[in-house]
Amino acid sequence: MELARRATHDESAFAEIVRRYSPRVFRTASRFFRRREQVEEVAQEVFLKAFTQLENFEGRGSLEGWLTRIATNTCLNLLRTAKRRPETMISELTEDEGAWLDEHAADALTEQSRSSVEDKLVAADLAERLLANLSPDDRLVLTLVDGEETPVKEVAQMTGWSESKVKVQAFRARRRMRAALEKLLARSGRRRSSGGSLESAG
Amino acid sequence: MKDRHITDILEGAPFASLSEDELKTVRAHADACADCRRAYDAARVASLLVKEGAAATFEPSPFFQTRVLAALRERQAANAPFSFARLWKTAGALVGSMAASVALLAGLTFLAPAPTSGEPAASDVASVSSPSTAEDVILNQDDATDDQISYGQVLTAIYDEDEGDVR
Repeated sequence: MELARRATHDESAFAEIVRRYSPRVFRTASRFFRRREQVEEVAQEVFLKAFTQLENFEGRGSLEGWLTRIATNTCLNLLRTAKRRPETMISELTEDEGAWLDEHAADALTEQSRSSVEDKLVAADLAERLLANLSPDDRLVLTLVDGEETPVKEVAQMTGWSESKVKVQAFRARRRMRAALEKLLARSGRRRSSGGSLESAG
Repeated sequence: MKDRHITDILEGAPFASLSEDELKTVRAHADACADCRRAYDAARVASLLVKEGAAATFEPSPFFQTRVLAALRERQAANAPFSFARLWKTAGALVGSMAASVALLAGLTFLAPAPTSGEPAASDVASVSSPSTAEDVILNQDDATDDQISYGQVLTAIYDEDEGDVR
């Protein structure tokens, strides 16, 4: 609170806020954007916005939480105003992505097989392509609740939504994500043969 | 109805948080139903992808703090309130030149001495005091003293001028 108050007129105090909380803001922006330049641009905007609103910070919650909320809302607004990308087509999948889907759709214990850096990169790119087709709200709630296992209560605080809204949004987001992936798996023609047993795979 | 039940389990909570009992129920049903197996596979792979997507984050560069502070200063300068200093900065040159012009005109109007009726005009005085042509010299020879100009000089001036006309 003291740091926030000082930062309204003391540049070094504001610099300390940027230094201390920029990793958190970057992490939040990374949930929405996949390019470093975009993330950095958004993070900068978040801190500039925070500076103008520092006088309104009453210290009820943590400064980190307050900044995270500003970051979340800034990212959501940016994505809402941005033009949605066209739906991912199966023809746009790279060979690596197709192979990744093939492997992981066939493997019930997939956690054991995703160890290489290349594998993770392919998965992250594929995830981005799928998440980019969701609405900003769906993307956020899915990344927070399912991806980072953030408690619903915390997501509600972060977004300003009710807990019920978070749960409903997450339910719908999972359904949309699953539907998109089902379509992708069906189109790719890489799915395992329908005779395989899930039990034996598990 | 059974399909509905399976998808409700899959979508009601994060896949990673499903209990072993829930997973057994889903798998058992999925083994007997192609649609439910597709839903199960998709939910499982989607969960993996979302986790991978969430894990991919960026760290701030060492220059980020400097960049933010520079942007802040720039924005503050752009949004500074209206002030005389800022006005002077933008319009100072124009105002300065206008003021100088006004001062010059005022000086010429009020400070320069006006010619009186009995005295010759300044141009007349200048032409008499410094004759430059032969006609000037002859016409004003009464005013000129002998030691100022000689007869020979007058003739030279006349001939030079005639030669100039011929050329």
